[in-house]
Amino acid sequence: MNLLLSAPEGEKLDSFLFALPFNLYGRAKKVRGNLCVTKDKKILVYVDNKLTDTYSFEDYDEYACEQLVGCSMMVGRRNDVTQKCICAFTQDNFIAYAELCKILNHYLTTGMLVEKSEIDEPKCPKCHLPLDGYTECPYCASKLKTFSKLIKRIGPYKKAFAVAILCTIFGELLGVVSPYINRLLIDGYVMPADGGTADVSAINWSGFGLLCLALLGTVVASVVFNYFNMRSSYYVALNLGQDLRQDVFNKTLDLSMTSISKKTAGELISRVSNDANKLQSFITDNGKQAIVRIFSLIIVMVIVFAMNWRLAILAIIPIPFVMLMVKRLYNVIHMHFSRSWRCLNSYSKLLHDALNGIRVVKSCGTERMEISKYSAVSAKWAKAASKAEVVWNLIWPVTDFLLTFGNYFVLFFGARMVLGLVPGWGSMTVGELTQFTSYVTMLYTPMRWLMQLPRTFADASISASKVFEILEEQTDVRDAKDSVDLDIDGNISFNHVYFGYKVYNPVLKDITCNIEKGKMIGIVGHSGVGKSTMINLILRLYDVTQGEIKIDGVDIRKISQQSLRSQVGVVLQETYLFEGSVLDNISYAKPDASFDEIVEAAKIAHAHEFITKLPDGYNTRVGNKGYTLSGGERQRIAIARAVLHNPKIIILDEATASLDTETEKQIQEGLNELCKGKTTIAIAHRLSTLSNADQLIVLDKGRLAEMGTHDELMRHKGVYYNLVMAQRQTTKMKKVEKAALA
Amino acid sequence: MENNEKKENAGEVFEIDMLELLDCSKLEFFRDDAGFISLKYDGNEYFNVMLTRLVPFYSKTTYISVAYDNEDREFKEIGVIKDMKELSPEQYELVNSYLEYKYYMPEITKVYSIKDNSRGFIFVDIDTTAGRKTICIRDWYSNFRLLTDKYLYASDVDGNKYFCDDISKLDKKSLAVLEIYI
Repeated sequence: MNLLLSAPEGEKLDSFLFALPFNLYGRAKKVRGNLCVTKDKKILVYVDNKLTDTYSFEDYDEYACEQLVGCSMMVGRRNDVTQKCICAFTQDNFIAYAELCKILNHYLTTGMLVEKSEIDEPKCPKCHLPLDGYTECPYCASKLKTFSKLIKRIGPYKKAFAVAILCTIFGELLGVVSPYINRLLIDGYVMPADGGTADVSAINWSGFGLLCLALLGTVVASVVFNYFNMRSSYYVALNLGQDLRQDVFNKTLDLSMTSISKKTAGELISRVSNDANKLQSFITDNGKQAIVRIFSLIIVMVIVFAMNWRLAILAIIPIPFVMLMVKRLYNVIHMHFSRSWRCLNSYSKLLHDALNGIRVVKSCGTERMEISKYSAVSAKWAKAASKAEVVWNLIWPVTDFLLTFGNYFVLFFGARMVLGLVPGWGSMTVGELTQFTSYVTMLYTPMRWLMQLPRTFADASISASKVFEILEEQTDVRDAKDSVDLDIDGNISFNHVYFGYKVYNPVLKDITCNIEKGKMIGIVGHSGVGKSTMINLILRLYDVTQGEIKIDGVDIRKISQQSLRSQVGVVLQETYLFEGSVLDNISYAKPDASFDEIVEAAKIAHAHEFITKLPDGYNTRVGNKGYTLSGGERQRIAIARAVLHNPKIIILDEATASLDTETEKQIQEGLNELCKGKTTIAIAHRLSTLSNADQLIVLDKGRLAEMGTHDELMRHKGVYYNLVMAQRQTTKMKKVEKAALA
Repeated sequence: MENNEKKENAGEVFEIDMLELLDCSKLEFFRDDAGFISLKYDGNEYFNVMLTRLVPFYSKTTYISVAYDNEDREFKEIGVIKDMKELSPEQYELVNSYLEYKYYMPEITKVYSIKDNSRGFIFVDIDTTAGRKTICIRDWYSNFRLLTDKYLYASDVDGNKYFCDDISKLDKKSLAVLEIYI
């Protein structure tokens, strides 16, 4: 990333190591400022080209970017307290300043000054849009390139697709033959006889019969071709749709938590189903249509020009003007459909939210409010969709009429040619005119399709960009090429680990500790101090920003994710139960487990008793996230699942936090069985739950503040002692409150 | 008597949960050397206080939370200023300038055009109180929207925020451009 961007007037840019612009100064006034870092380790601040402040690197022991609401500032800190705002800037400069702070902090901790930032440019140099982990800017890629990716997906079904195309082409060719037979019929058999009365005996009945048979033959052949065309098309469409949905689903599960958490579940569901379905129909309808329509356009164009070039020119005269008009209207149409899509999306989100949170809705008695919200969103969607359709249907008939206006020219001049009233243009029979007008009509069909293309193209391009955004996203947590499957013993070590969900905002700072196998470790600290983050890192849901985590001496980035996670068992505060039976949910972690193993696991988790009391036993259906069961029962199923998983490392993240003390005691027995002899890492808000832990890790402000047993830490009277005291105080206050209310 | 005692106890317990409205006449904000705001209040001195608009989209000068981080970097709220109008003009100016800084958000005064790149981004050419510029907005259905019937909120790809507190004040052409997107 380039951090040498702009120097104050009169100074040479290359005389600095780094030079960044800033645009805000005291009282949010806009200024032209420059922050320059020199090779002799000085920070110079210029405001309107005048040097206003000079700092040495060592003036502060940490530099940071503090993000405010509308702007950000670079600050210097000493002893973890913000000392000075060095400069302020709008958010477009944030990443550059955050990177600069990282370089300065690296110097302060290691004494080494990095002279070039090694991170990639966050924006595309061409369009300045954020790259978000893409190697190639997805927004500079042409639309055709996006669609060619779609067309390529037909590959596995090319034979069926070829059959569909051939059948459509033959169908189109038959369409060209029919007007010719009609012409022969009209010219040979419908012409008035000379002298007034027709002589029936002079009619060539066998010729007439043959022409009728040929006409019938084209109809029958059309039906046959159409049948095979539809059969092959649906085969391709359904398989292609399935492939797309499957790929998006696979990729979604493969993405890191960082990517997943950027999108809502409703949005992901919409991408897997709605957007993939739209692309499915676009490829099969329009992919095939594109080939056939263009082919048909060329054939018909050649025929009409060969028959009469003057009439052919008259027929196509309005087309360029209409095309130009359609191009202009494309943006309007696109905007309307885009708006309609946005409304549909809000509608889906609301529906998803209201039904997922049905318990909250019911318990708050807000059904009416939700109904009115639903009806407003639904009406908004209907209005937007109807407006889009109105605009489309307003534009479409007018343009269609203008497009086919050439037909009136053809009829006018053609009829005059039949009557011999256009000298120099030659003559024409009625049959020839009928044949010509049929071809002109056939010419307009692909033209109409081309005109409709912007609508489908606009709709599909939005879906395509959304689907490919997922399919092409680089997952930031992936297996190394030399990753190994490790049989884990359970020794875990953190070595100078730094991590932030946003790289520039570290949640964990310089964590170094060892967790021995078979021990029970408790992680404690205030809310938001990074307890769950430590667990997420052990599970490798995220990669560390700096430092390393080792399991049995192997960096976890070198262990395959499958191998790592299959040996780590997790019991969270909120257990998610899948749709299915109790049996399915316990065996989820080990689908090939025998029934004996499942019952054994349920017994260890103290779940067997309540399951036995259920009318359908292990076959009891757990619907809608398991809300038919109590919190304690759900938690016991989760423990049984973890027992069956037989992990080497167990993680308990507030496993008993949502339960009452009585249930917690019962669950604790199950947990003790589960954790016997295994490395266990537990987070619990109730510190009493962790009092029998072999060691406690105390986090404070993202750093490891203390480590030791409960007794040692109480004697030490540090952060842990304060936490325990504060909790005791709260408990006392609650008792007073209860007494007062009584 | 016993009942009274119980009531007193209950009062004591619940007092900490009450909204602490600050007496504006006792507030003495001052700017320290580093450019941050500190406060003298009720005989106490608080350094580097944090002022927060509790309802930034609805009101800029009412319900301002005044807080600080204690030595353990724990968030401690001193109280809430119900209405900044109750502050002296100098104090008002000081607090307001801090808030304008923290919530730096240019106001949209005109919308010239909006171009959609059909990939979820729009480019909005606007006039703002900080000058004319073209802002790029990602996921425009979330980041370019009306928060109320009138309040337009925009957040660009870099995280800069823009607003228009009453779109009906915009000229007709701007409204016509906006109409399709909001």
